[in-house]
Amino acid sequence: MTRNTISAGVVLLLSMSLPALAEIDLSGSWASINHEDSLERGGGPYPADWAGIPFNEYGRAKALSFSQSIISMPERICWFQTQWHIAAGPFSLRMWAVPDPLTGKVQAWMIGAWETRAPMIIWMDGRPRPSKNAPHDQTGFTTGVWNGNELIATTTHLKTGYIRRNGAPSSDQATITTHFLRHGNMLTLALLMDDPVYLTEPYVLTRSYNLSTNPVAIGGPPCIVGDEGVESGRVPHYLPGKNPYTDEMTKLFGIPEEAAMGGAQTMYPEFRDKIKDKFKLPAKCKLNCGN
Amino acid sequence: MKSKLFVLVLAGVTMLGVRAYAHHSFASTYLEDQQMTIEANVLQFLYRNPHSFLQLESKDDKGKSITWAVEWGAGAQLGSSGVQRDTLRPGDHVIVLGQPGRNPEDHRLRMINIKRPSDGWSWKGTFD
Repeated sequence: MTRNTISAGVVLLLSMSLPALAEIDLSGSWASINHEDSLERGGGPYPADWAGIPFNEYGRAKALSFSQSIISMPERICWFQTQWHIAAGPFSLRMWAVPDPLTGKVQAWMIGAWETRAPMIIWMDGRPRPSKNAPHDQTGFTTGVWNGNELIATTTHLKTGYIRRNGAPSSDQATITTHFLRHGNMLTLALLMDDPVYLTEPYVLTRSYNLSTNPVAIGGPPCIVGDEGVESGRVPHYLPGKNPYTDEMTKLFGIPEEAAMGGAQTMYPEFRDKIKDKFKLPAKCKLNCGN
Repeated sequence: MKSKLFVLVLAGVTMLGVRAYAHHSFASTYLEDQQMTIEANVLQFLYRNPHSFLQLESKDDKGKSITWAVEWGAGAQLGSSGVQRDTLRPGDHVIVLGQPGRNPEDHRLRMINIKRPSDGWSWKGTFD
């Protein structure tokens, strides 16, 4: 009996110190590869360019009301983006594991903050998700599970945010599912946005990172509010039918407005056949031509 | 000549290593295919993250005061190109070339270059 108890204890101790099979280490500094979707990651997209976003009519209407100047309102300059900004922003990642002090197992994976995004804490200890009535914030609540050597994180309890930096909205009912896939020194994140308020289908973005010996900061520098040209009390916006940039993509790149306005059909390859007679290649590309 | 070329190449390599800090979309904020020049006096230099801003004051045709917000790089980016928080001071007279904002009400520019005639100081570059 005593021998059995000791054996069981040894097995238990060993199992506690070993990671589950197929778990992989995600810790380190991951340098973003920003030539991938360079306009999206770098300078940012054009106004009213929502091709590939599966908007419903509410999502499109909300996006059309967006003026970029609204982000320069004093109270919004340092307003955190949601965790979707990992996909839509330009930054590198710093990841590390937080051990449970009693068992030594990974209690959570952390992704360091940026100046415009709170840290992501991916709880791995099986804790329950808060009530749907619990407070929402830009950080949200994230839990993770391993699926083989892939970490899958699910984020809920978010506040409203943007899924593209030109005002494509996400709601406080959105769920972000993030797949972490490591291949040697490369990390790929595949993010899916499910939003029953503004989208008809999940919106998917992937982005990749290279492992770097150059340390990525664990928290961004502080964001400081200042005068960016929008005085306190003014709320920049466009009333319905008054957005002046709905034909921007047509004028610049010959892309039909029905494509630029998004919708689920614009995500799929066959949509190109549908609009091929409406696309007019500009005589000369003037801006952001990939060279 | 060779030393100037070396400095330019070195500056370019240095800029490649600088982090981007974009919190909004430049293409959505500014008319990137247009440029305008303003001659004005410095009111304030906000050397900060996510982007620095230079507040300038000029007069319109009727002599009315206009405050301009000129967007510039983040503190770390500017620091690496030699611009410090005290490089520009209130009252400095400067000439700025920039891309105008899409919303004229904002009186906003994205910095392309800046000159201070009083001592010949200047800056030219790009930032994300």
